Amino acid sequence: MILYIGRRLLGVIGVLIAIAAVTFTIFYVLPSDPAAAACGKSCSTERLTAIRAHMGLDQPLWRQFADFVTGIFTGRTVGSGQYALHCDFPCLGYSYENSQAVWDLLMDRLPVSASLALGAAVLWLLLGLTAGVTAALHKDTLTDRALMVGAVAAASLPVYFTSMMLIYGLIRVAGLLPYPQYVPFGHDPLDWASNLLLPWLALAVLYAAMYARQSRNSMIETMAEPYIRTARAKGLPRRTVVVKHGLRAGMTPILTLFGMDLGGLLAGAVITESIFGLPGIGRLFYGALSTGDQPVILGVTLLAAAFIVVANLAVDLLYAVVDPRVRY
Amino acid sequence: MNKRTCTALAAVLAAPLALGAAGCSGGKQAGGDGRNGKNPAVAGEGSVIGGTPQKGGTLTVLSNQDFTHLDPARNWVMSEMDFGTRLLYRTLVTYKSAPGTPGNQLVPDLATDLGTSSNGARTWTFHLKKGVQYEDGSPVTARDVKYNVERSFSPDLPGGADYAARYLSGVEGYRGPAQGKHLDSVRTPDDHTIVFELNKPFAEFPSATVMPTFAPVPQGQDKGPRYDNRPFSSGPYKIDSYDRGKKLVLVRNDKWDPKTDEVRKAHPDKLVVLMGLKANQIDDRMIASQGADASAVPWYALRPESAAKVLPRAEVRKRLLAESQNCTDMVQMHTGRAPFDNVKVRRAVQYALDRDAVLTASGGPAFNDPSTAYMPAALFGGRQPDTLKIPATGDVEKAKQLLKEAGKQDGFSTKITVSSGDKGRAEAIQQSLAKAGIKVTIETVDPSAFYATIGDTKNRTDMVYTGWCPDYPSGSTFLPFVFDGRFIKEKGNSGNHSLFRDTATMKRMDEIAAMTDAKQAGRAWQRLDGDILAKAPAVPVLIRRWPLVLGTNIAGAYGHTSFGGQIDYATVGLKDPAKSQG
Repeated sequence: MILYIGRRLLGVIGVLIAIAAVTFTIFYVLPSDPAAAACGKSCSTERLTAIRAHMGLDQPLWRQFADFVTGIFTGRTVGSGQYALHCDFPCLGYSYENSQAVWDLLMDRLPVSASLALGAAVLWLLLGLTAGVTAALHKDTLTDRALMVGAVAAASLPVYFTSMMLIYGLIRVAGLLPYPQYVPFGHDPLDWASNLLLPWLALAVLYAAMYARQSRNSMIETMAEPYIRTARAKGLPRRTVVVKHGLRAGMTPILTLFGMDLGGLLAGAVITESIFGLPGIGRLFYGALSTGDQPVILGVTLLAAAFIVVANLAVDLLYAVVDPRVRY
Repeated sequence: MNKRTCTALAAVLAAPLALGAAGCSGGKQAGGDGRNGKNPAVAGEGSVIGGTPQKGGTLTVLSNQDFTHLDPARNWVMSEMDFGTRLLYRTLVTYKSAPGTPGNQLVPDLATDLGTSSNGARTWTFHLKKGVQYEDGSPVTARDVKYNVERSFSPDLPGGADYAARYLSGVEGYRGPAQGKHLDSVRTPDDHTIVFELNKPFAEFPSATVMPTFAPVPQGQDKGPRYDNRPFSSGPYKIDSYDRGKKLVLVRNDKWDPKTDEVRKAHPDKLVVLMGLKANQIDDRMIASQGADASAVPWYALRPESAAKVLPRAEVRKRLLAESQNCTDMVQMHTGRAPFDNVKVRRAVQYALDRDAVLTASGGPAFNDPSTAYMPAALFGGRQPDTLKIPATGDVEKAKQLLKEAGKQDGFSTKITVSSGDKGRAEAIQQSLAKAGIKVTIETVDPSAFYATIGDTKNRTDMVYTGWCPDYPSGSTFLPFVFDGRFIKEKGNSGNHSLFRDTATMKRMDEIAAMTDAKQAGRAWQRLDGDILAKAPAVPVLIRRWPLVLGTNIAGAYGHTSFGGQIDYATVGLKDPAKSQG
């Protein structure tokens, strides 16, 4: 088991370095010039050269990449003299736009994205699983059809549409809620929740629909398994059969899905964050893309990749807990 | 604020909004079609909205972005220079706080007068007012102004105006004060005197000292690139907190003495800038002006899509500012190679281009004016001349005739590069040129790569769509940047995207630059503008306005002509401070 985890973690680091290398190369090949962008349009050749050297862009690609990777583990110093910026482990460099350490930017934005992702996840699991299981247990009845038609409808609504409708209906027309503005949880948990309610709903509607469909199928399959029939035959209460025997086994595919979804969302929901004006990682990424802020783009890419890879690992390990047949 | 303004705005805004808003623009009204009287957006032009403000309260600014740079050595975006120099730091000289053309006037700020020149305008001396203090009560000295000028040379602190680099003598190879080296061409004989030695005569040097480069930064406060997050205040407000990309809170700097300051009124007690809001939501909130939003102003211009919610409603319209940005959008043609090395072909484009159609694609006549000259109206004393008399919708017949004379009667194919925010405008250009037989392919480039792409003179397309804004109201900050052939660089080329290299034009530019009589020079630039227009290196297309819908509780607001139409933050305040929150 420990050996397995160790091997997987090594794999994670390999994947992240590969992703960093690809992202790096893409920027190197693209025609944008961060030094020229920083300098402004009427930039003399001499000044441009100096700025390029200061940003380390005069170095060959492999050298820049090597500096970046070693910086993550050992930290590094950017600039020189009185203006030198030293960034400690884990150093992801400094934003070209505002000279802030990328790691600090990410850690500053992470609580927002995490609040959004976790809150929405709770909502969509509740809604999705309840709907899915209910539909499965009432297969081919009116309830089942109503729930699944609802799920198809909800799944086909793009998140920006749902968001706009929620903003229009609940904020602009009904005036029930203010325009969302992120309040840290530690600051005021109630304010935190009420400000995040709409974004949670917008995201949860979409995901809940997918989870309802997925969990319905999975449950129907499981409930048809011979061991369920056995459990029933033993005279176990229906509740025990459904929850302990049916749901637990039926969860496996949901868990895979959930790991990927949550991992992806933790690194930022670009559209939802943008529409609701939440300063999360998704919006940081979007802003960095439009200004060509390479260190930030690279940082977010790595963080997103790390979340997904780690979420995958966690899911694989959880299989063993959920399904007694799986062993590592 | 030429190029840098354009770059920054294009990069920061055009992309996220995915509509309008790359390049720059401005200019009162080009003659042409007599739309002047009918334009509902310009009713408030030159006047103050909301009357005189009361002291106190919190003014909220709703923004879709963070500031590019508040570090005075790096701040070179029009609206941010307005914000920085009106609220946080003072410069040697600044613009008068007044609506309309009087806003172009220079007034002393840190200095006691507009500077005195000697040695044939090669030496400039400024005396500093006494009793001006920083937020910690320490005095502002001439050394601190010199120190910030030196900082602007540092490669660690890029982005600022380059007037010091272009005009100070002995700056070759200078890399800023971080390594302990200082400039000999800036002398500070005592705490209240600063002397600049220039490398050539420069009669307009006081205009350049309006730039934040000439704001004081004490050496002890300098934190290099991190100074951007917390500039040390010499103005009426200081930074209480600055959460990059999220929120900036300014509170009163009680060490600022209004008796030393004739420009800043400092009405609100507090300013809060909320960043990263969605542009369409800002528009909607400003139009609705509910609750706390009544005491708010928008940071960025109204989107063209929101015009329909504003213009028909008298109640909203009376809260609308739409001052000209005073920058010209142009189609620049590569004069160095076929087919645009032929002046007849270039003139054909001038005639074929339907400026009206581009205007429509740009949000319509309420938020733009067609341009009939290169320099915006502010450089013509308020109105552009129309020397070519081309109809705003173009003259296809004349264009075809010119093409025939050039031996291109069957038309030709060419390409235009535009920033992605300008795609709609490019399509209007494409359609109008097609009528004359010129087949244009549009190449759209992401704003972050736009200037690098068109600056590569070998590999770029024949035509580019760009904008230019004068740094201050003088032809010297426009025509030489856009049409002087000696500034052309093979890579990283800027401004002169026509690659226009005309001996007569360059000779004339040098003659005008040497003139010491500002009025005479002004008229000479205006005539030169017409002369260049006849040689057709570029087609002036339009001049954008800067439309802003203000909250109902806002007072003392007007778009400042010298800051690209941005609200003058020196005077804006609230009608009833009790109604504001926070």
